Amino acid sequence: MKKILSFGLAACMMAGLTACGSSQTAATTAAPETTAAAETTTVSDSQEASSDSAPVQTEPLLVYLNDFDGVIGDMFKEATGYDVEVVVGNGAETMSRIEAEKSNPQWDVVWIDSMYDVYNLSQDGSLLTGWEPENAANLTEFSKGLVPDNQCFYPTGTHAAGVLVYRNDVYDESTAPKTIAELTDERFAGQVGMADPGVAAPAYPLAAQIMYSMGMEQGQEFFSTLFSQGLKVYPKNPQVVQALASGEISVALLQESNAYEMVSSGEPITIVWPEEGAPGSTRVAAINASSDQMEIAQMFVNFLLDPDTQQALVNTGDEGFFEPSVEGVSAKEERDPNASLAVADVKWGAENEADIKAWFADMSVQ
Amino acid sequence: MKLRENAAGSLILAILVILVLLPLLTVLIQVVCPGLSLNELDLGNLSLVLDVFVRPLWKRAFLNSASLSLYTTAAGLILAGFLAHIRVKYQFPLAKLLDVVSWILMIMPSFILAQGWVFFASGNGIAKSWLHIEGMNNFLFSFPGLVTVMVLCKYPMAYVAIKSALEWYPARLVHAARLNGASPFKAWTSVQLPLCMPAYFSAAMLIFMDTVGDYGMSSTITAVYSFPTLPYTIYSAICTSPVRFDMAGVLSLYLVVMIVIAMILQFYMMGRKRFDFLDSGTEQVVARKVSKPVSGLLSAAAGIFSLIALGIPIGSSFIMSFSNSFSIERFTFTLDNYKSVLQPDGALLAGVRNSLSLAAVAAVVGLVLGFAVAYTLTYSQFKLKRLIDMMTLIAMAVPGVVLGIGYIFVWNQKWLQPLGLNLYGKPEILILASVASAVPLINRVLVGGMSKVPQELMVASQVQGARLGRRLKTILLPLLHSSMVSAVLAAFGGSVFNLAITTILYPPNFSTLPVYISDSYNDLNFGYAAAATIVGGAFIIGIMLLLEFILNFGKRNKNADNT
Repeated sequence: MKKILSFGLAACMMAGLTACGSSQTAATTAAPETTAAAETTTVSDSQEASSDSAPVQTEPLLVYLNDFDGVIGDMFKEATGYDVEVVVGNGAETMSRIEAEKSNPQWDVVWIDSMYDVYNLSQDGSLLTGWEPENAANLTEFSKGLVPDNQCFYPTGTHAAGVLVYRNDVYDESTAPKTIAELTDERFAGQVGMADPGVAAPAYPLAAQIMYSMGMEQGQEFFSTLFSQGLKVYPKNPQVVQALASGEISVALLQESNAYEMVSSGEPITIVWPEEGAPGSTRVAAINASSDQMEIAQMFVNFLLDPDTQQALVNTGDEGFFEPSVEGVSAKEERDPNASLAVADVKWGAENEADIKAWFADMSVQ
Repeated sequence: MKLRENAAGSLILAILVILVLLPLLTVLIQVVCPGLSLNELDLGNLSLVLDVFVRPLWKRAFLNSASLSLYTTAAGLILAGFLAHIRVKYQFPLAKLLDVVSWILMIMPSFILAQGWVFFASGNGIAKSWLHIEGMNNFLFSFPGLVTVMVLCKYPMAYVAIKSALEWYPARLVHAARLNGASPFKAWTSVQLPLCMPAYFSAAMLIFMDTVGDYGMSSTITAVYSFPTLPYTIYSAICTSPVRFDMAGVLSLYLVVMIVIAMILQFYMMGRKRFDFLDSGTEQVVARKVSKPVSGLLSAAAGIFSLIALGIPIGSSFIMSFSNSFSIERFTFTLDNYKSVLQPDGALLAGVRNSLSLAAVAAVVGLVLGFAVAYTLTYSQFKLKRLIDMMTLIAMAVPGVVLGIGYIFVWNQKWLQPLGLNLYGKPEILILASVASAVPLINRVLVGGMSKVPQELMVASQVQGARLGRRLKTILLPLLHSSMVSAVLAAFGGSVFNLAITTILYPPNFSTLPVYISDSYNDLNFGYAAAATIVGGAFIIGIMLLLEFILNFGKRNKNADNT
């Protein structure tokens, strides 16, 4: 009898889960209404509102992010008086949380360098769309081109997901690679490493841009050649750094902040910005369509697009290696002034993400 | 009697269903019901289950995980059995060192140990740059190297389980064997070893499950030479976009299949034989004094072993904690890392505090539940006890990130809000998850101990009118004292460093020690992460030693009285 009761309890829980699963569909179909209502809300409206009737905060704004967790809360509080709580995690963990929370989202704003994942979120109505913050007018031409048609997110900066780096005690300027395509040259066989696009957040934009710029078939051929020549794939960029520092590899496609940190710590590393532009990873901010603090969330995103905010972020330290998304901000002095970035089309990158990651993972074990 | 047993068994089963099975089911069910939405129910997706025969990555990951776990289990069991045997049987100066080393290794998360090995053996690591040992990197990043490191990382659980079983000696049976002409070795193989089978099987299961579900080691070492394992592949399935919980579910199913196969194997080999031998003819083993050369030899062996198993990984991290460089080759001495870590208002101390409180609650709750589980498995006739056993193993083998996601599905329901049970985003959910992770270990250690205590002892006292509480207090708890202490300490230490679950579930502004260390590492602050590991680890080991002293205080006094 008790045995039955115990199963009954479990069954009740399951029933509850599936019931909630059904209600999630309702929530997502309702989302466009929320979106439509929000379309008319601009930051100037909310700022105007703040002078008349500032939104009352009942609980801290919950922001999911993967960098700047130590500073952004205080900066926003100082500028607006509103509290922010952050949940910091890598791109995969953050997206998993968001996906698992779908029936009852907890977050208000997501601010991570996983542009394609965030765009995919907008496809089922999870994000506020069709809204333009006042500070979007500050966006550079490059960053304006990254805003998708549905305006589901706004870029706050782009960093190189993969600059070319090489150990200058193994190669010199004449023998080092100058373009990504050159990595298939036999003199780099067994010496090249990169992070896994299937695990490291910045590594997918890197693989995507290579596939996008070369064309899918040529891109796959490029990576197949690299694999046949002993390409070493590490889970994340810190492992690539360790492999470079320890001499396991001599050449890598490495996230720019990591590359500059290696140089500043005295490692024998030289950075090469590829002539064709380094594949970029864009940090974007998006708002949960069902956030109950919509006005404050919009203020937060608008705040991120303020030149003063971005300048302060650039000045924070190692996390500040990025190309700001708005005009009037100076990038880090150490950064190459001629650094150019290239980013695969948002829609293309989002649509092909699952296929590219699966292909890459299967290739790496063959 | 039977009714009570069934009631208790059902209650335990219900608790484990909520803690383990339900979260896992919410992930597994995504294969046919993405997002748990009935509207998207599609049984055709079941074909994904067979993808292990199609997708090269999955096939390789399955085979890699199976072979790695089998080799590690076999080698780990031999090592743990050998060490436990020497430790219990002989007196030598460094005997206690084996316990300390095993305990430290047991609570240290595998990613930290793996990191230490990488610092030691990589191209320009300590082995090559300082000790001028060539070829260590080729060895470490190979299958035998990986198995070696895995064995040195995973043997301690088995060591603790086997050691607690060897502490009692079936004196009457062994004497009978010797009187009948058996040599000491023959008496050991034909009497003592068979009676300890449950402990050995428990130990083997512990190593197997811990290895098959390990993400830290595989992500740090194995990917370097394209040796993907199931946990790594599960993680990459979760990393894809849109997130593929269905693929993570299928891959987790393979882990469950491995557990079921291992359990069937165990059942087949042990059958329904009895292994209880604690009766009036049983003696507590007293370590034998040996000659000075033998004692010296044993101490030297224990010292060298400890140096390799613990000295290399932790020593390498210790060295890195005094450097700001990325590699040993460019080592420059600095105390900056420790200065930052020990700042009174530093985030590390907050993380340590959070982790300690979580672990303390998880260890206590886990001990109560683990004891109930072990009691049910050993003494009750509850028909579904195999299911209980399986669930505890699943909790151990399924990667924390999968269970964590399952916890979000279960505990982030709107309808739980009015009941005050919407635990996601609160520290309580970490306690539940930590209890789920702690129970398998506690259970295994206690089952090993309980299997030696004959049910007749309990029945005799019951016939004399002793209620359950009195039976536990006067018979079972005194006989299981060292197993209980081992179990609670293992659960406490393990919970403090439980990374996978806390990463995915931690509430806002509630950082824990392992999350803090992992974040520092990801920010390339290798020296700082190493310093945080050393400080946090030392702090926790200090507390554990204190706990061990307090928990064994009464026992020591009693022993002193007896002598």
